[in-house]
Amino acid sequence: MAAVCGNADVFTGRVPLRNPSPSFPRVFTTQAASVRAPGPVISTEMASTAGTLDSPVKQIQIEGMVVLKIIKHYQEEGQGSEVVQGVLLGLVVEDRLEITNCFPFPQHTEDDADFDEVQYQMEMMRSLRHVNIDHLHVGWYQSTYYGSFVSRALLDSQFSYQHAIEESVVLIYDPIKTGQGSLSLKAYRLTPKLMEICKEKDFTPEGLKKANIGFEHMFEEVPIVIRNSHLINVLMWELEDKSTVADKHELLNLSSSNHLEKSLQLLMDRVDDMSQDIVKFNTYSRNLSKQQQQKHQYLQRRQQENAQRQSRGEPQLPEEDINKMFKPPQPPPRMDTLLIAGQVNNYCQNVKEFTSQNLGKLFMAEALQGHN
Amino acid sequence: MSRFFATGSDSESEESSSADEITPKAPGTTLKQSLLLSDDEEDTKRVVRSAKDKRFEELTNLIKTIRNAMKIRDMAKCLEEFEQLCRAFLKSKNIVDKEGVPSFYIRLLADLEDYLNLLWEDKEGKKKMNKNNAKALSTLRQKIRKYNRDYETEITAYKENPQESADEEEEKEAGDSGSSSDSDDDDDDDDDGVSAKAFLKKKPESAPDASKFLKSSKGSGESSSSEDDDEGGWGSDPVGSGSESSDEDQGKSASLAVVFLKKTHESEKSADKKVSKRKKIKKEHLEEEPEEGEGEEVEGGWEKVKGGVCLVKEKPKMFAKGTEINIPVVVKKLNEILQARGKKGTDRAAQIELFNALAAITAENNLGQGILVKIKFNIIASLYDYNPNLAAFMKPDMWKKCLDCINELLDILFEDNNIFIGENIAEDSENLAISEQPFRVRGCILTLVERMDEEFTKIMQNTDPHSQEYVDNLKDEGKVCNIIDRLLDYLETKGSTEEICRVYLRRIMHTYYKFDYKTHRRSLGLPAESKSEQDQDESEGEDSAIIMDRLCKFIYAKDRTDRIRTCAILCHIYHHALHSRWYQARDLMLMSHLQDNIQHADPPVQILYNRTMVQLGICAFRQGMIKDAHNALLDIQSSGRAKELLGQGLLMRNMQERNAEQEKIEKRRQVPFHMHINLELLECVYLVSAMLLEIPYMAAHEFDARRRMISKQFHHQLRVGERQPLLGPPESMREHVVAASKAMKMGDWRTCHSFIINEKMNSKVWDLFPETQRVREMLVRKIQEESLRTYLFTYSSVYDSISMHTLSEMFQLEIPTVHSIISKMIINEELMASLDQPTQTVVMHRTEPTSLQNMALQLAEKLGSLVENNERVFDLKQGVYGGYFNRDQKGSYQQKHGGYQRGGYRNQNQNNY
Repeated sequence: MAAVCGNADVFTGRVPLRNPSPSFPRVFTTQAASVRAPGPVISTEMASTAGTLDSPVKQIQIEGMVVLKIIKHYQEEGQGSEVVQGVLLGLVVEDRLEITNCFPFPQHTEDDADFDEVQYQMEMMRSLRHVNIDHLHVGWYQSTYYGSFVSRALLDSQFSYQHAIEESVVLIYDPIKTGQGSLSLKAYRLTPKLMEICKEKDFTPEGLKKANIGFEHMFEEVPIVIRNSHLINVLMWELEDKSTVADKHELLNLSSSNHLEKSLQLLMDRVDDMSQDIVKFNTYSRNLSKQQQQKHQYLQRRQQENAQRQSRGEPQLPEEDINKMFKPPQPPPRMDTLLIAGQVNNYCQNVKEFTSQNLGKLFMAEALQGHN
Repeated sequence: MSRFFATGSDSESEESSSADEITPKAPGTTLKQSLLLSDDEEDTKRVVRSAKDKRFEELTNLIKTIRNAMKIRDMAKCLEEFEQLCRAFLKSKNIVDKEGVPSFYIRLLADLEDYLNLLWEDKEGKKKMNKNNAKALSTLRQKIRKYNRDYETEITAYKENPQESADEEEEKEAGDSGSSSDSDDDDDDDDDGVSAKAFLKKKPESAPDASKFLKSSKGSGESSSSEDDDEGGWGSDPVGSGSESSDEDQGKSASLAVVFLKKTHESEKSADKKVSKRKKIKKEHLEEEPEEGEGEEVEGGWEKVKGGVCLVKEKPKMFAKGTEINIPVVVKKLNEILQARGKKGTDRAAQIELFNALAAITAENNLGQGILVKIKFNIIASLYDYNPNLAAFMKPDMWKKCLDCINELLDILFEDNNIFIGENIAEDSENLAISEQPFRVRGCILTLVERMDEEFTKIMQNTDPHSQEYVDNLKDEGKVCNIIDRLLDYLETKGSTEEICRVYLRRIMHTYYKFDYKTHRRSLGLPAESKSEQDQDESEGEDSAIIMDRLCKFIYAKDRTDRIRTCAILCHIYHHALHSRWYQARDLMLMSHLQDNIQHADPPVQILYNRTMVQLGICAFRQGMIKDAHNALLDIQSSGRAKELLGQGLLMRNMQERNAEQEKIEKRRQVPFHMHINLELLECVYLVSAMLLEIPYMAAHEFDARRRMISKQFHHQLRVGERQPLLGPPESMREHVVAASKAMKMGDWRTCHSFIINEKMNSKVWDLFPETQRVREMLVRKIQEESLRTYLFTYSSVYDSISMHTLSEMFQLEIPTVHSIISKMIINEELMASLDQPTQTVVMHRTEPTSLQNMALQLAEKLGSLVENNERVFDLKQGVYGGYFNRDQKGSYQQKHGGYQRGGYRNQNQNNY
């Protein structure tokens, strides 16, 4: 079926309507999900994959058009550190998520505060359905600025997506890296562990400890395959052949240190945040241990007193609510720290990648120099 | 006098007495005061009398109200009044102590208690009372019981003999006003002893007689007229009887009753008696003083006094009976006057007049300089005493008098070499008589002059500095200085070293803050422009620097009290600094080690210290020692309380923190306006110094995360400037400096220069310096140099090499200067560059870390702290105890590690050269 679909795709740019009944368009509400649940192929397949694997999606296949659309969206709407977002449409085939189309969200401004996002999505998807385009909601995409995307907002929305539509992914597009010559598009999903935690909304240190989750286990990256029609592939090869050497040398350009500086700057900010959080946590744990000690002392005293009273034959002191006397200090939420750690990790990866690339280029240049 | 014409109403007699209180200050007093012996006794008496009068009148009035309230059974009112009465009685305690409890008071207490007991037992009546009254009744009853315990004996005495008192009371109610003045009179005569005791004692026979004569003369003068047409006049005229009775009984309280009894029952008789008595006295008087030629008519004598007999003629009346005026008599008299000193009722103005009169008499009778000096001492002392309040300042006329007097005293002392004065001369060993031996007089001229100086300061403090009056007062400074100079001359020959030190300090205090224009001009090589003779006079005088030097060195050598030396040093430094002798001033400051222990000094010395430091800073600035200037001014300026610290005004915000008393003390410490240091100048000097230091420093350490501030205040000003939403052209001095700093940051010295030196700033600040032009030149130069440095720091990364010619053109500095500045920067490792001699260029080495490297360094530091924090958390997990110590070690290890890394980096840098 997938092959057929692919073929249809190539020639018509259309996906055959899989769900002819006029069902409700798919949005990330539980209701929508339940409506969609009795979908044909997928549910059984998913059940089978979920048993053996962590996630129902093992691979993502993106249409070249979707990538182009995302890039175009950012080019036209996004500037600097501003972020553009949009909805991904497609369907799940076995353990592969095929993303066949997307549409952007309009930029938010202060003026249209009463803009109804849900309404917009519904309208959009309904309209797309009318023209026979894939209209199943499978995730969302977001642009990023120097790889800073790991945030609470992303976590929250991805959680609600994944909660409603299990296979949904978030696609992160880095326009700056792309601008440097290497397309940077990454798909992420929340790990089941994180989903559990988010479901329980237990972000206390104990909760996270129990869940045994680290920043490494928060997101899982899903491999992406970009699929183009054969004709496009042919065209690409032809273009490759035709392109001059100078165009290719563009890739050897040592990009400015500006990129590194920016990354470092952002990294530093995060490290600062992290420091603050640690200090906060430190204070908390100190307070906690102090209180524990006090509590302990109090209990001991009470015990002694009771023992004495018993020996004197007096009635024992009533047991008071010890928690009332020693109110445990408010534990600081640890989720933010985790996110920051994740982000820092992300930055580091970025920098590492960037520098290793640059180093490679340098060695290449050296070699070339020597050869000449 | 009105008293004798009075109709006897109480208020009037009081008015007249209060009028008498005032009159001594009126212009006509001179005459009256001089007549003290003959006439003024009456006056003094009245002055005292009014106090009694008031007290007792108050009491009787209250008693009357209470009785009224008793009659209408208004207990609430009764209670209220009773409480007032108790208070009033307490107030008049000293009078009561003297005289015993007045019987009318006792009577009231007894009656009230009886009355209350009566009411208390009257259950019926009590029920009828309203709540308020009932409550008041019980309270009052308890109160009076308690209160009466103190007066038990008196009350029992009264109860034994209520008749008499009752009579008395009737009498009292009949002639209420009379009674009050009566009772007062009684005390008056006692009190008379206080003020006029001197006279009484001195001439035991004559004085009372004289007074009696006066009274009687007045009385009889009136008697013919007032006796028959105005009975009330008699009612208010128990003075005679009062005084008589007090003469007889010496003011026993019982006498009051006797007098009243007498009066009621035999008023006619007493009147007769009085008249006869008066006549008798008059006769005595006539017999006694025929030689004064006033004896023909009693009225005549009276009128003459009134009419203003000329001063000289009256004066001998001090020694009324024409006693031979000799030294013992005068001394005795002097002591008498002195005894009244400081007492409550004494009229201080009158005392001064008395002393003056005495001095005149002494001079007239040629009693010799000794006694004259002694009297003069006393005159000056009493001039100072005139204001009982320490904070109040002398009135101008008093001040003039004081100056004159001191001058006269000094005249005498200079004229006569035979006078020894000193504090240590005992009263007994004084030698005032003209004899072969030199005069010995007790008294200290130095103290008087010091006090005068303080008074002068006080006057200046209390005059509005922007008024003509201040200028007028300031003119007296010359006189004060003159006096101090004369005293200095005198003491140099006669005084002990200690005294010389003290007077030297006074002299220094009047010299140190004045800029010596003539020396200044001379040093500039200008011919002394002698516009007036005065200028010429001045230019002939010694240089103030030489004077200061001489005086201060004497004090350094001879003084044994630390305070005088400290003050002298500070003044000396101040003077040096004021005259731009920076090195002397600085060395003296450092040698004296005053910075270490000045906080133990008293506030005035601390203020002087602050003033000196500020002056030192300003001096350093004028000399172009920017760093020294900044350091000297830092303490004063950073506190933000420069005004307060320099004693040039109180800060408003402190108002809540201090009470009125502290404020008074602080006000007394204020420096007079003519000695002030211009605060705006001070701030400007400070800010400009800070700018010249801070801007290059900021440029040099742009990326240093741990950069410290040189001047917080300057940064504050910069921030204030940045916060402005709209930046207009600078108006105030501060705005100018901020604008200039911004220009300097860019290395734009021309703009910076135009902001620092322009019309506005000239008129506000720079023109206040004596050598304006020189200071301005110095400033321009500094701005050029520092701008060059800033420029190199900021933009060196842009250049591979710069030609020194270009730099010298850009900053309008000579090449050698540019060369030296750059060399210095290279040596100090501030600038990574080398000089290329043949081409005269500066070649930059790119060893400054790039911004990326800087950022990496910063990140490393941040990560270090992150790790440290993390380890703390870990420590806590490991266990609360013990972990702390480990952590500290770890922390230090971390730091060491970081330091090593940085050191390594440095080494790399250096290897790169």
